[in-house]
Amino acid sequence: MTARWLREIVEFNNKTSTVMTTTEDPSSISDIHVDNIGDFTFPERNKFDSGFGISSKTVDYICDVKSDPQWIRDFRHKALDVFNSKPMPTHWATKDLENIKFDQFRYYLSDGQKPKKSWDDVPDDVKRTFDRLGIPEQERKFLAGVEAQYDSEAAYSNIKAVVEEQGVIFANSTEALHKYPDIFRPWFGKVIPTGDNKFSALNSAVFSGGSFIYVPKGVKVKHPLQAYFRINSEQFGQFERTLIIADEGAELMYMEGCTAPKFETATLHSAVVELVAMKGAKIQYVTVQNWSSNVFNLVTKRGIAHEEAEVKWIDCNIGSRLTMKYPGVVMKGRKARGEVISIALANSGQHQDTGAKMIHAADETTSNVISKSISIGEGRATYRGLVHIPKHLKGCKNNTECDALLINTKSRTDTYPAISVRGNQHATQHEASVSQVSAEQIFYMQQRGLSEGEAMSLSVNGFINDLASQFPMEYSVELKRLIDLEMEGSVG
Amino acid sequence: MSLKVTDLHARIPEREILKGLSIEIKPGEVHAIMGPNGSGKSTLSKVLCGHEDYSVTSGTAMLDGQDLLAMPVDARSRAGLFLAFQYPHEIPGVSNANFLRAAVKARLPDGEDLDAVAFYKQMYARMDQLEMDRSFTSRSLNEGFSGGEKKRNEILQLMMLEPKYAVLDETDSGLDIDALKIVARGVNAMRSENRGFLVITHYQRLLNYIQPDVVHVMMEGRIAMTGGRELALELEAKGYEWVQGDDRALAA
Amino acid sequence: MTLTPTLSTNAPQWFNDRAATAWQTFQNLPLPGIKDEPWRYSNAKRIPLDQLKPAASPSAELKAQAIAASSELTNTSARLVFVNDTLALTETSALPAGVICLPFEQALREQSDLVQKYFMQRIMQLGSDKFAALHLAHVRAGTVVFVPKNIIVEHPIEIFHWCSGEHAAIFPHTLIITGDNAKVSVVDHFRSLGDEQGFSCAVTDLVGGPGSQLTYIACQEMSMKAQAMQLASTVAERDASVKSFQLQLGASWSRSESVSDMVGKGSRSDMLSVSLPLGEQVVDQRTLQNHKAPNTHSDLLYKNALYDKSRSIFGGLITVDESAHFTDAYQTCRNLMNSPEAEANSMPGLEINADQVKCSHGSTSGPVSDEELFYLKARGIPDHEARRLIVMGFADDVIGRIGNEEIQAMIHARVEEKFAQVN
Repeated sequence: MTARWLREIVEFNNKTSTVMTTTEDPSSISDIHVDNIGDFTFPERNKFDSGFGISSKTVDYICDVKSDPQWIRDFRHKALDVFNSKPMPTHWATKDLENIKFDQFRYYLSDGQKPKKSWDDVPDDVKRTFDRLGIPEQERKFLAGVEAQYDSEAAYSNIKAVVEEQGVIFANSTEALHKYPDIFRPWFGKVIPTGDNKFSALNSAVFSGGSFIYVPKGVKVKHPLQAYFRINSEQFGQFERTLIIADEGAELMYMEGCTAPKFETATLHSAVVELVAMKGAKIQYVTVQNWSSNVFNLVTKRGIAHEEAEVKWIDCNIGSRLTMKYPGVVMKGRKARGEVISIALANSGQHQDTGAKMIHAADETTSNVISKSISIGEGRATYRGLVHIPKHLKGCKNNTECDALLINTKSRTDTYPAISVRGNQHATQHEASVSQVSAEQIFYMQQRGLSEGEAMSLSVNGFINDLASQFPMEYSVELKRLIDLEMEGSVG
Repeated sequence: MSLKVTDLHARIPEREILKGLSIEIKPGEVHAIMGPNGSGKSTLSKVLCGHEDYSVTSGTAMLDGQDLLAMPVDARSRAGLFLAFQYPHEIPGVSNANFLRAAVKARLPDGEDLDAVAFYKQMYARMDQLEMDRSFTSRSLNEGFSGGEKKRNEILQLMMLEPKYAVLDETDSGLDIDALKIVARGVNAMRSENRGFLVITHYQRLLNYIQPDVVHVMMEGRIAMTGGRELALELEAKGYEWVQGDDRALAA
Repeated sequence: MTLTPTLSTNAPQWFNDRAATAWQTFQNLPLPGIKDEPWRYSNAKRIPLDQLKPAASPSAELKAQAIAASSELTNTSARLVFVNDTLALTETSALPAGVICLPFEQALREQSDLVQKYFMQRIMQLGSDKFAALHLAHVRAGTVVFVPKNIIVEHPIEIFHWCSGEHAAIFPHTLIITGDNAKVSVVDHFRSLGDEQGFSCAVTDLVGGPGSQLTYIACQEMSMKAQAMQLASTVAERDASVKSFQLQLGASWSRSESVSDMVGKGSRSDMLSVSLPLGEQVVDQRTLQNHKAPNTHSDLLYKNALYDKSRSIFGGLITVDESAHFTDAYQTCRNLMNSPEAEANSMPGLEINADQVKCSHGSTSGPVSDEELFYLKARGIPDHEARRLIVMGFADDVIGRIGNEEIQAMIHARVEEKFAQVN
């Protein structure tokens, strides 16, 4: 039964085929098509393949193929030793980590193509994947630069002239270490040392792909720089390495989206992302991630914020079998700011183990963590947080909020924060809550004609609405679309 | 064409609440159901809408010949049944505008897009009628609303969804006289020969503003007496106890 | 090792068997390290296990001295005093008929079945298995209370445990069981007679029967050189309400582990604590709220007012089982930081496996608010007095939840006395 006023308009529109332009509420979810995302797999087409397992031979192979300089070769071998010597962190983390069989992965793959200059040169099957991701054409045009990673090498790389003119360097990390060693080398591996954890060591040994960005002093990049990652070869680990440096007073927003086709056997993704914000610089790093549910996604992300600089992680984790990711900010200079905004959605068979690390290392530094997780079906969401304020500092502040939403009786949520404060010149505040979508809420919405699934989706989107609005607009739309997809079949 | 309930029995696990209730509302008619607390008035509204707390043990409920009881909650709504809740639920994070849009869109044919401009135009016009501030659209659904604001919001939804049959469950409860007048004005604006109303209330007061064609008295899960508008006034004067002793009360 | 226990000749066989096994367990288990998650930020090496010895039998004079100092509450139903794990005084004549309130060794002999049923039946969940074993191997002092069905014990039972002698270790035990709809309050004091190093290793088991109300207060005021440990567990059966409050004022290092299991539908557990560490005192508190049945309610409020170089560690966890729908669980830890060198570590955790749950935790650490202080000073109140008022208000917010005015007044006075030592 359709309201009369509406029926009239629909009829009118049908007659005249007028497409009316609207001023849409950006937080609306009602106008999204979800039928173009799902399982997708394309034929493998790899010219270089390091074979299965990891050894010093694998590392040498990667170095040879990539023509790595000697210092990178040494760096990789040292990292491999660290990786081999470090135990799995199962004394605090999930035992599921033990199911990772390192000798069953391939650690390097490339289709042997050089990065492309224009969109027209991108292979059709890669383009098709982007179509499946549902990224509208005009949005791609809007992007200032695209660094889309197809397996481990960039399949497409295009930087708009306007960004280059500002002196911004946007390259893949392989290219950068050859072309810009003066900028690359001093910061590479400095924010996240090789031995930070077992997986940062693994990445350091076999990394390929990822982005390198340098924004010169005072340059404010207007449009977000963007990269899409996906994994498309069975049993293939993806180890991209990203380093972003914003020089004094520079500003930048970087966006990465990850999505992977579904495969039968486990896939490993272990990235390292290092951010350096010099005095007064601002970096926002946005991730919307939707791995297939057999992916182990073990990522180390950390930024250093110098005096009055700001590093902000905006992170959305959907999919994967296990995600462990705790973006961090080391506030090294006075009045530096760190922020983590995180949304996690765990469906059946998935464990989102996410959080934030805030290391206050200078006076008057402030950090803010807002985390919202949704557990559906038998999904499990875990928050782990670390806030550290040492005693020789003064005037530091931390605020942490974690909220969890449970959809079904079998879902699970855990929160494990750790906050250390020394001295009487700081203030920290941590709040967490757990709630659920109540049957009465769903009934109310169903009485207005929404299906149970629609009602649930609306509630869930409502739960994360205030955070979703922090994402760039096209991402917040994509995010809601991904959440709707995940919600399908979760009710009833 | 009617909303027709015949010999309806419904229960919660502990006890039976509706004990053979029958009522028929034709398009264009306004029926009022009055009754003491605990007589099953609110249960009737929830059973008609398909609330899972209640199970129907026998009887029928037909909406224009469609079997309501066989339909899920949302299908009943889309078939044209609207309930203005006595206690509208608060739904954090979901804005009024988004919720209404989703509800309106659920009524469109598959693949049809909602024209957002026309939607907002209609919504603002209706809000003006109900003297609702524009800021309502961006506030979370019913969250932090006063009693009066919640009831007005129910009527706004009624106006936007244009149901065939609307059940108003104690819409007058918790309203001051000014709010009651505004709400009644909204309801009266929606009265039409194509739409039937069932107004559930404990007090006669509401019926001064929404004048019913038929008044029923509900006692212990059944319609105990049916009459015209004057019955409401008589009830007000004599109290519910009087119904049981009166010859006009229907035989059990 | 000087801590080697001697078995009691009067105790029942089952007890001696368990004590002997426990001693083996103690020796086999490694000392927990800071890398063990339940010991994060803490250090078990603070307990000088190599130097400790079971506290020596007290002289008559020592006993007399302790008894003279053993009176905090005016209205009590019973009073027991132990010195170095030796009974010095027992007054139980004011108890209603049927209530069992016995010194531990006597209870072992006279109520062997009752004690056997409830004595240390819970596995340790918060990291101190080794110290629980040590306690079991040594325990001979403490109190066993059983309040039968429908009996209300009006006034609190007050118990004192005194420790005396350099490197003396005591092992106080408290076991309280309430029958259906019974009601009782028990107050334990843990104190030192001198200012020597000593160690109190206490274990407390609270069993709240259906519909009963059990209130337990532990006041730890050992010497500032001592170490104190209390391993407490609570079981709340259907509709039972168990409230436990701990006051941590003494000892250079104290650790408490408190587990509340809400096993019966509609049961409730309140977990409260106040501490005011000075100097280099460390207050280490670990808690676990286990919701194992529907409609259960738990509320935890721990407050620490920290001075000088003191440290607090709070590790809390709420777990909600799959079946425990309609659970309300709250956990709040607040640290009032009163010096530039104080340190607060908070690890408030949640593990939720059920829906229809209302659950939240909060943790704050910060100084006395400047605005509050300014407001008081603007009314002519001197700085130190203003701070005293604010800190006492901070503590009274928790103390006021005990629900017994005399106990509240007593604890308030103890906190005031400790505050007087603040420079």
